[in-house]
Amino acid sequence: MIELLPEGKSIGWMQAPPQWIFTHTVRFIGVVRVVIQDGEGFILIRKGKPLAYYFKHGRIELRGHAALDYFNSHPTIEFNLCKYTPEEFAQALKICNVEDQTPEGAPVAESPAPEHSPTPRAPAEIVPEPVQDLKGAESRITPSYPILSRSAEPVPAIPVVPGPVVLDEKDIRIIGQIKTLNGVVAISVFDEERNILLMGDVDIEPLLKIARSMLVTTLKITPLLEWGSFVHMTLQIPEGNVIIAPYHDYHLCLLTTRTINIGHIRRILRDLQQNGELA
Amino acid sequence: MMLKEILNKFLIINGVQAAVVIEENGEIIESIKSGIVIDKKLGSVISTLMLDSKATAIHFGNADLSMVFVEYTNNFLILGPLAEEFYLVIIAKNSSNIGQITYEMKKNQDAIVSFL
Repeated sequence: MIELLPEGKSIGWMQAPPQWIFTHTVRFIGVVRVVIQDGEGFILIRKGKPLAYYFKHGRIELRGHAALDYFNSHPTIEFNLCKYTPEEFAQALKICNVEDQTPEGAPVAESPAPEHSPTPRAPAEIVPEPVQDLKGAESRITPSYPILSRSAEPVPAIPVVPGPVVLDEKDIRIIGQIKTLNGVVAISVFDEERNILLMGDVDIEPLLKIARSMLVTTLKITPLLEWGSFVHMTLQIPEGNVIIAPYHDYHLCLLTTRTINIGHIRRILRDLQQNGELA
Repeated sequence: MMLKEILNKFLIINGVQAAVVIEENGEIIESIKSGIVIDKKLGSVISTLMLDSKATAIHFGNADLSMVFVEYTNNFLILGPLAEEFYLVIIAKNSSNIGQITYEMKKNQDAIVSFL
């Protein structure tokens, strides 16, 4: 099923809450490839509207609501946004057996193509397989996630109430580019309450605890200085650097190795801020 | 060589406005400045940075603080621990070469510590 979908153009891998996907893809047409431990799946999206959900782990396949519920059962999931051309998107719609409608119309999601579906089984027959979540704790796909056959009920157009759009495709690309810099271990967009986006393999909460602590420091000192706008604060310890910098209405947090070129990061952060002011 | 002479090595770097050796309680041990006044506000900024950064580094697996950079559009400040509760603080215009400053900080650390 997944392998039949067009590849698309990868925008980048990231970690974020599942809801983030729906609130940050209003201009995105393509597939979001989801990986949860050994399982993989996807969400087909047209301009913020999910058209099909699918997840497979071992013999277990989840479609529609079941896949969505499984995605939503994780605080954060790891995924790759892959942009489609109109032709690729049309092909994906066909593979997922989704009726094509005008982009403005409510999408109709049906179960994917039958020829690759397993024989429908009743939920009671399902033998849950162990699944490791991203934090490493062993869990199981419980039988409460039914295996849906082709005749499963359609997925509603919008599964969650979207919040305000805070980052667009350009932002994600920029953040993805920073992540690729030599020495950048992880990059997060965060605010006082939550991690909005994370790229990199780190435990985000301890890192954000440090970042928020640094943010508190800058909030204390900035009113006392007449040195212009805040650009960044970098805390250097033998293991690496934690850098915080304003980004739109939010903040960036970078975790880097000690070997990173601080001058390069400085220039990028200054450019980001200047471009943000111009925007 | 006096401590002031060592600090003067920083002041001759293009854009550097102040080099200060300060204790965690806010007491300035020695300083050398050009075109900047270390008033009560700036003293408070430095104290906050010293105490907060040390506390934040503890969250990082009880790590030793190596250096702290805080940059604004016009100026930046670098804070480096010297020994025990003493710090070296450099304030510079943002046109200044941060790499050169940090190099001098590391190079002169032992010499500065010998005066404390």
